[in-house]
Amino acid sequence: MNIPNASTVPNPNEYAGDEVSAIVLDPGYSTTRAGFAGEDVPKSVIPTYYGVLDSESGSEYLFGENAIHNPLRNLEIKNPWSTDGIVENWETATRVWEYAITSRLTGAKQTDPIKNGLNDPLNGDPDVEMEGLDDAEKPLTDSPLLMTEPGWSSTKAREKYIEIAMEDWGTPAFYLGKTGVLAAFAAGKASGIVIDIGASMTSVTPVIDGMVLKKGVQKSPLAGNFVSNQIRLIFNQSQPQIPLTPHYVVSSKTPVDAGVPSQAIYKTFEIPPTASFRRNEEERVLTEFKESVVETWAGPGRFSNGTNEELAKATPGRPFEMPDGWNQVFGVERFKAVEGLFDASAALFDAENPRPKDEQTIPRLVQAAMQHVDVDQRPAILAHVIVTGGSSLLYKFNERLNSELQAMFPAPRIRLIAPGNVVERKYGAWIGGSILASLGSFHQLWISKKEYEEHGPSIVEKRCK
Amino acid sequence: MATRRDVQDIMGLGGADTPKTSIQKRPKAAAPQKKLLGVNREVAALYGERPPPVAIYEQKKTYRAKRQNAGPAKKWIQQPFSNPARSDGLILKHWRRKPGPRLNPENGEDVIMEDVENQDPQVETEYEFAKYNVQVEVPSYTDEEYEAHLRSYDWSREETEYLLQMVKEYYYRWPLIYDRYDFRPSTTPSEPSSSAGGDTTTNNIKPDIDAPGTEDTPSKSLAMLPFVPPATRTIEDLKKRYYTLSATLMKLHTPETAMNPAEYSLYETLNSYDPEREAARKRLAVALMNRSADEINEEQWLLAELQRINMSATKLDTERAELRDRLEAPVPNPALAGGLAQFQTSQALAALFAQLFQQDRSKKRQSGSGRLSLSATDIIGTPTSAHHANNAQHLSGSSSNRKTSLAQPGGGSNLSQHPTRNLPPQLEHRFNVSTHDRLTSGISFGSDKLQKLRQAKSNVQTQKIAAVLAQLGFPEIMPIPTARVAGAFEGLVGRVGKLLDVRKVREKEEGELRILEAMKGKRAGDEGGPGGGEGDTEDKGVKVEVGEEGEGTQNDNENENGDGDGADNDNDEGGEDDDGDGDDDADADDGEEDADGDGENDDNDIDDDVEGEEVEGEGAEADSESARQPSEAMSSRTGTAAPSASASASHKRSASVLSGVSNKSNKRVKK
Ligand SMILES: Nc1ncnc2c1ncn2[C@@H]1O[C@H](COP(=O)(O)OP(=O)(O)O)[C@@H](O)[C@H]1O
Ligand SMILES: [Mg+2]
Repeated sequence: MNIPNASTVPNPNEYAGDEVSAIVLDPGYSTTRAGFAGEDVPKSVIPTYYGVLDSESGSEYLFGENAIHNPLRNLEIKNPWSTDGIVENWETATRVWEYAITSRLTGAKQTDPIKNGLNDPLNGDPDVEMEGLDDAEKPLTDSPLLMTEPGWSSTKAREKYIEIAMEDWGTPAFYLGKTGVLAAFAAGKASGIVIDIGASMTSVTPVIDGMVLKKGVQKSPLAGNFVSNQIRLIFNQSQPQIPLTPHYVVSSKTPVDAGVPSQAIYKTFEIPPTASFRRNEEERVLTEFKESVVETWAGPGRFSNGTNEELAKATPGRPFEMPDGWNQVFGVERFKAVEGLFDASAALFDAENPRPKDEQTIPRLVQAAMQHVDVDQRPAILAHVIVTGGSSLLYKFNERLNSELQAMFPAPRIRLIAPGNVVERKYGAWIGGSILASLGSFHQLWISKKEYEEHGPSIVEKRCK
Repeated sequence: MATRRDVQDIMGLGGADTPKTSIQKRPKAAAPQKKLLGVNREVAALYGERPPPVAIYEQKKTYRAKRQNAGPAKKWIQQPFSNPARSDGLILKHWRRKPGPRLNPENGEDVIMEDVENQDPQVETEYEFAKYNVQVEVPSYTDEEYEAHLRSYDWSREETEYLLQMVKEYYYRWPLIYDRYDFRPSTTPSEPSSSAGGDTTTNNIKPDIDAPGTEDTPSKSLAMLPFVPPATRTIEDLKKRYYTLSATLMKLHTPETAMNPAEYSLYETLNSYDPEREAARKRLAVALMNRSADEINEEQWLLAELQRINMSATKLDTERAELRDRLEAPVPNPALAGGLAQFQTSQALAALFAQLFQQDRSKKRQSGSGRLSLSATDIIGTPTSAHHANNAQHLSGSSSNRKTSLAQPGGGSNLSQHPTRNLPPQLEHRFNVSTHDRLTSGISFGSDKLQKLRQAKSNVQTQKIAAVLAQLGFPEIMPIPTARVAGAFEGLVGRVGKLLDVRKVREKEEGELRILEAMKGKRAGDEGGPGGGEGDTEDKGVKVEVGEEGEGTQNDNENENGDGDGADNDNDEGGEDDDGDGDDDADADDGEEDADGDGENDDNDIDDDVEGEEVEGEGAEADSESARQPSEAMSSRTGTAAPSASASASHKRSASVLSGVSNKSNKRVKK
């Protein structure tokens, strides 16, 4: 009896895998995911948000979940990505990504134990000091690196990726994969249309034979952060206003009845933390709210259509309690936060949050993407609608998406592919990268250091198609 | 096999001290809990129907296979390897079992080996996945070939080469080639370095990476030609260019005659690519895709409707076919191996009947309604299975059901005396059921009875009747011979017979009249005086009698035919017949022309001869005698005189005369 386990060699016929301890890095707007190729979950998931402490001696950067939620004064929380899905601050982005890799994957071996994230005291102030790393050995000299990029990244951005990997991190081999393609691979499909609803961006990517149809890639800002902002608007516009209190201001709370002002003891700060810090903390509460209360109108038809709103009113509400004890049962308004993803006219708006454009809604994105797909491929593509990204976990989101797509394309058969597993949904692109980089036949595609030195960064355009 | 509970029992873990009954219930209660092991029920309930925000992996409690103790731990090394599919000699490392003579599990050796491990292992140069490095081939050409055959008005050589390179790069995936197709002539001065630097740099790198840079140098001169590439090329344009180019090169390298079938069919395919038609097809496909939900629903509805109609049509067809089979040719009964052939004699049928009756009785089947599937209900309603039909064809007598249709009159209803049920007259009428007080015993075929109606005593008459029926548009076999239909048919055949007889008699009389007149004319010419007077009176008498006999003959004929119907019946109908069948008669005459001609041409010669004899050879006496005969014959019909041999002979003769006349008259008509 020889049952395969973690210490037996996999049967070569079982899968065409050949692991070369490659590292897969999937940088997103909300989290950055890194892990070894061949594994099924990224070992290292860190927030992409980072903290900056400005002092006389210069700026100090804080990375990691533990560091950025600590209410230090002057702590600014920032994100290296711009809100339209392009890396804005390459320098800090590099450091965030490097932290994701070194803190859990390579750190212990490569860097001074004092300086990697692993050995930091649990509640020590800064997670790691990155300054010392410059003269340390480069972190990736042993591992090929597969990075993901959004479907719309520019040639310049792509060249930047390979520069960082080759020059800053010293990786022996590099490859750049598009999130859409990789999410399709994670779903086991080489062709299909990938709908990725992340934090800052929703993207729709037609994939044919493992390659993106570049002209068909669509993106829009109607994603997780948009839903968060919709919730904020709902809170602000409701009568009386719903207080959004982050965890860090609450010292202790006592239970109160629904709708009644909270009776909590709040912490006092000499100098209150910055607005960006508070906003990031509020975002955590909002994510919790999204997970437990917000619901998508499942269709058919829009929420505003006919008697749909009446029907929704008949369903039982969902309770939510703020960190300070304030609580309420949310009825029909819980449907309104997501409706804007499908129906721009239903989105709430104010001066800061302009009304989204009609063509930014998800159904319209899919429609626009399908326009670029040759008619011969359309039925095959629509049979593999792959849904991925954290915000696709919104309750009943897939039901609605399905009904919208059915209404839009009545003729071909539409099949939604959305893994029920939360991890697979959130880390779809990473998992696809993990599969790809552990395939034996993939290893001829790496851009080696030698090739990079020969041809320069532009080789990425040629090789990572 | 030991289950977990057994082990728990043995080890005295939970459940060992609980009573047996609760143990048995356990698995059921544990089933829903299984979903989230290690989470309190209350906590699990909080999740509700949503997936939990963090993935919960349950700790499997199943037993793992015990680790085999197969000596000391195997050694693994990070084996460096180079991939022959790569040109740059990149060395990666993968985990491999440590090779070498390490099968000996002695500790001492292992210790020694550990030192060896620290040395750099040999780089593997074989790589099992290198075989997947497959490149596609694209056609290649020389400058001369391009100049002579491949030039095109709207494709520069540079762009052609770009296309070929794209095809190679994207492995003939046309949607991708079309998606990435972005040709910029290298001669254009605006080489944007800021935007899309990748494209220009790609062009620069090309020769370096794709080793052979030979193609580029000679093409420069051609690229300078003032081609104005169209702003956009459709996927069809790209395909067309590539396919034509391939086909041309194929032909250049292998003349059409030298191509093998596979090559030639490829060549044909390449040549027959029509971008216009392809584009038109795609437009249609797009239109098909863009149909609205209503249109699709309508189409589906129509398709369903069509299917339904087709189904009911085929069903109707099979029902009809079944009915037809049942009525026309009895399907051989599978139960009877010999088919129907063995039941052709009446004895065999009687034996079969007896046998089946015996079976029936032994089964104590009171109502054998299945035996009567030819009864009217079945014909009107759904036809039963062919098996029933067979039985009905073979025999209908074993039924206890007395209700049988006229079409199926043979039945041994005397076998059981009690009629199951008497229908009220309206229903009997409606379902075409008829009740018979007395049925002839024995077995007979219904179809025989129908056939019998058509048959007259003589063949000639039968043929005549058949001709009349054909003229009236009757099928050879009546499709649904219900009682009423059969009755009407019987009446019709009777009338046809009568009409035929009447015509026969009329023609006979007319012929005699003519003879007599001819005789009279002769006499008047020869003698004059008293003889003529006699003839006149006689003639008159005859004429009068003939006139009177118009109706009488019908009766006589009836009697002669011996149909067994009451005489008064016919008398009543006599008048109607003449009125009603006037048309029929005329029709019948016209229609019979052929039949008569065929049937009686043989007689014609003889008749003519006889006539000739009579008229010329025989004396006046004979003639007068013959002239008197009809009157005798007529008088005999009244029942007084016994028919004499001479009378019958003369009747025969006159009849033949008549027919001769009728032939002549027919011929006249034709003229
Ligand atoms: N269970 C959930 N329900 C609703 N939204 C969720 C859920 N889990 C995560 N999100 C949202 O998904 C987004 C993160 O998705 P992700 O695909 O990781 O984005 P990115 O790739 O841009 O980092 C965040 O905006 C978060 O609020
Ligand atoms: Mg993402």
